[in-house]
Amino acid sequence: MTALDPAAGAMAAGALAVDARGVAVAYDRALVVDGLDLAVAPGEMVVLLGPSGSGKTTILAAIAGFVPIRAGAIRIGGQVVATAAHHEPPERRDVAVVFQGSALWPHLSALDTVAYPLRRRGVSTADARREARAILERFGIGAVADRRPAEMSGGEGQRVGLGRAVARGAALHLFDEPTAHLDGPLRDRLLAEIAASRQATGAAGIYATHDTAEALAIADRVALVRAGRIVQMGSPLEVYDAPVDAWAARLTGPASELEGDVVGAAGQLTEIDLGGVRVRAIIDGMAGPVGSAGPIAGPVRLLVRPDWANLGGPLPGRVMAVRFRGSHTDTDLATPAGELIIRRPGPPTVGVGAEPGWTLGRGRIL
Amino acid sequence: MLRTIAGTGDGRLRLLAAGLLVGLIGIPLARLVGVAVGGGVASVESTLTDPAIVGAIWNTAWTAAVVAVLAVAAGTAAAVATERAGLPARGWLRAGILLPLLCPPFVTAFGWTRAYGPRGLSDRLLGIEIPGLFGPGGIVLVLTASAVPLVWLIVGSALASRVEPDAERAARAAGAGPWTALRTVTLPLLRPAILSALVVSFVFAVNAFGVPAILGTPVGFATITTRLYQDLARSADPAAFAEAGVLAATLVVLAIAVIGPADAWLTGRPAARTGETAGAPRAFSADRPDAGGRRVVAMALGAVIALVTIIPLGAVVLTALTRAVGLAPVPANWTLANFGEAINDRFLDGLAHSVELAVAAATIVLILGATLAALGRNGRGGGAIRTAATLGFALPGSALAIAVLLAYGGFLRDTLAIILVAYVAKFWALGQRQVAGSLDRLPDDAVRAARASGAGPWTAIQTVVAPLLRPTLAAAWLVVFLFAFHELTMSSLLYGPGSRTLSVVVLNAQQLGDPTVSAALAVLLVGMIGAVAVPLALLGRRRT
Repeated sequence: MTALDPAAGAMAAGALAVDARGVAVAYDRALVVDGLDLAVAPGEMVVLLGPSGSGKTTILAAIAGFVPIRAGAIRIGGQVVATAAHHEPPERRDVAVVFQGSALWPHLSALDTVAYPLRRRGVSTADARREARAILERFGIGAVADRRPAEMSGGEGQRVGLGRAVARGAALHLFDEPTAHLDGPLRDRLLAEIAASRQATGAAGIYATHDTAEALAIADRVALVRAGRIVQMGSPLEVYDAPVDAWAARLTGPASELEGDVVGAAGQLTEIDLGGVRVRAIIDGMAGPVGSAGPIAGPVRLLVRPDWANLGGPLPGRVMAVRFRGSHTDTDLATPAGELIIRRPGPPTVGVGAEPGWTLGRGRIL
Repeated sequence: MLRTIAGTGDGRLRLLAAGLLVGLIGIPLARLVGVAVGGGVASVESTLTDPAIVGAIWNTAWTAAVVAVLAVAAGTAAAVATERAGLPARGWLRAGILLPLLCPPFVTAFGWTRAYGPRGLSDRLLGIEIPGLFGPGGIVLVLTASAVPLVWLIVGSALASRVEPDAERAARAAGAGPWTALRTVTLPLLRPAILSALVVSFVFAVNAFGVPAILGTPVGFATITTRLYQDLARSADPAAFAEAGVLAATLVVLAIAVIGPADAWLTGRPAARTGETAGAPRAFSADRPDAGGRRVVAMALGAVIALVTIIPLGAVVLTALTRAVGLAPVPANWTLANFGEAINDRFLDGLAHSVELAVAAATIVLILGATLAALGRNGRGGGAIRTAATLGFALPGSALAIAVLLAYGGFLRDTLAIILVAYVAKFWALGQRQVAGSLDRLPDDAVRAARASGAGPWTAIQTVVAPLLRPTLAAAWLVVFLFAFHELTMSSLLYGPGSRTLSVVVLNAQQLGDPTVSAALAVLLVGMIGAVAVPLALLGRRRT
């Protein structure tokens, strides 16, 4: 079939790491994933960002070959691995998986765990162990080589799991919320190691998480997942600056929604009425959604990120809460146009109940 | 998970399992029903209106009901005490509660007669005996004592897995005292376990043969199982055989009438787990200061264990060591001669038969159980097959033995093979449950990780599944071995002159012979069971 399809033939030359089209996955007749389209370039890191239960793990399971698909097709490195009629088992797909709960085997030491995929490739025991030891050393856990999972910390276990994936030597790595059970510094450490292993192996990655900060930090592109579908895909900056709707806006970071009234344009700026006071600001999305005609005038819902507005200015507002976060301070304002969060560097400058006024730098029409 | 391991093409395996189950359980049950109703309605009616038969059925039903209620009350209290109250010497108390599992119930019954019966230990030392030990009272007491460890195991494991200590802590933090927390949180969460325990103890008591044989038969108190035993003794008489068929069928109906509704209720429940329990301390530190009360509870529990289990066992040992029945059990009268007399050709034959049967049954059951567990997880038909296997375990042993005898007695009568068929039919579910349980505990991701590391299905089984299951499989083998090794009910109905099992030899000695020699036999039997069970228990502890 591939040979008869000129498009597929052309793709095989610079084949995508993953090319999923129209994929559907069902558990007990209910479609968990439906109409999924996802393309990942070689070496690219795509983050699936979505709330728990949105189908991220199922998407990974379909790509890894843990579950069959009902419709569509999945190609890995140009090779068709899954259709409704055909299912390559996981061991015959060019993928490695890092699991949420690390999924280490209780009876194997760290060394034997990392050597396991090498042994499956036919590497001799001695060579596999040598290579496994090198991988453990690279992740800074050479000391736990002879320990079993019960004798490891959560962070060590997750790094052993990462080592096992690296040892697989696959061109595609799947990460299923690998930091979910880790806290603070351990989480950052693992993320740094994932980044380092990507540079070393050049493998593409698909990384599922519900943590926005993690997603924006690690991704080349972010895919927002809702109910088994990708509702938006773009660079971290794109999904942060231009979410497609209010749900996407809240998923990609702190977001305030204000009621406003677009009055007119003034050069690059737009004149907008917020609770009876007119200000000029950069307003994105004036063209409206794709397909709608002409610039918008009249009432709008405005997305404002906390760093897009500032304290002090002509717009009225009363301070409802102040949260000092070390490097910056979040201030909640009650304004006639709606509730607003403003983020400024440094310690708090106003107290609860003050009416400091505020200015709008930019906003985006939802 | 097995969906991840196995590919397609297990149809033949499923067919084989189904065929074996039909042969082991389906055909015998069909034959049983055929014989029971074969004589026509009039024959069934005449059997079921015979006052002696009605009496036996009634006796079985009410003693089993009383045993179930008493055993569940005592076992649940013991489980809450040992698992939640932070008692001192918990390890010893747990061992003491489980001790009766080492004794076949008919040995316990014998021990009670030696400890509390006429001319028993307490009679000799204090001049007191338990009135009515021979009769329904004694049967209920001894069966309750034997059923309590089963209840304790069921409720205790539910306490560990279903009732998260945090659920109780939350009740305490919400203002409930320890008793209110027990009543409003712990016991409601335990409800499914308590119901299963009720069913298990009821079926256990309905099944019981050795205890009523020892404590009921001498005073003319008959149950279905003892009546069956007598009917079969004169099985040359066709009328007696038809009666046995009707009685066995009644036994099945009695068991199913209790298991069916309970099973339906339990499967309708969501499998509510309150969460992880690993590493969580079981007792409330807030309750610690009351060490005095705790010690009193522990001592009371210890005293009950001593009265119910240790003293009767001790009485058996003393009897075995005493030169003659009439003599006081003091060191001057001690001898090992009884053991010499006990270890005769009959004993050695029985021992050899029991070991052969138990090894064969355990091995077959494990292989079949693993097959079933795999099928049960892996698609259609598995559920029905599993239900059928569980039915075999729930069927009263007497009824199953009669059914197997009816189906295969024609060409296997009086052979070890027919006993093996009954053992396998009975214990299949036991092996399957153990294997399925450990497969459940093996996380999907452990197998997926192997597959995603390049292992094919068989390599994944060899390198990940088998090593992780090996301890459980060994334990399952030993459990079946143990059950088969001291099985009495079915063996006593199926044995022939050349196929006595060890339990049958011991029971016959107790019914016919010298108490000192039968006591020696009982000590040997319990000693051998202990030699297998104690390492098994230690193995289990290391695993957790």
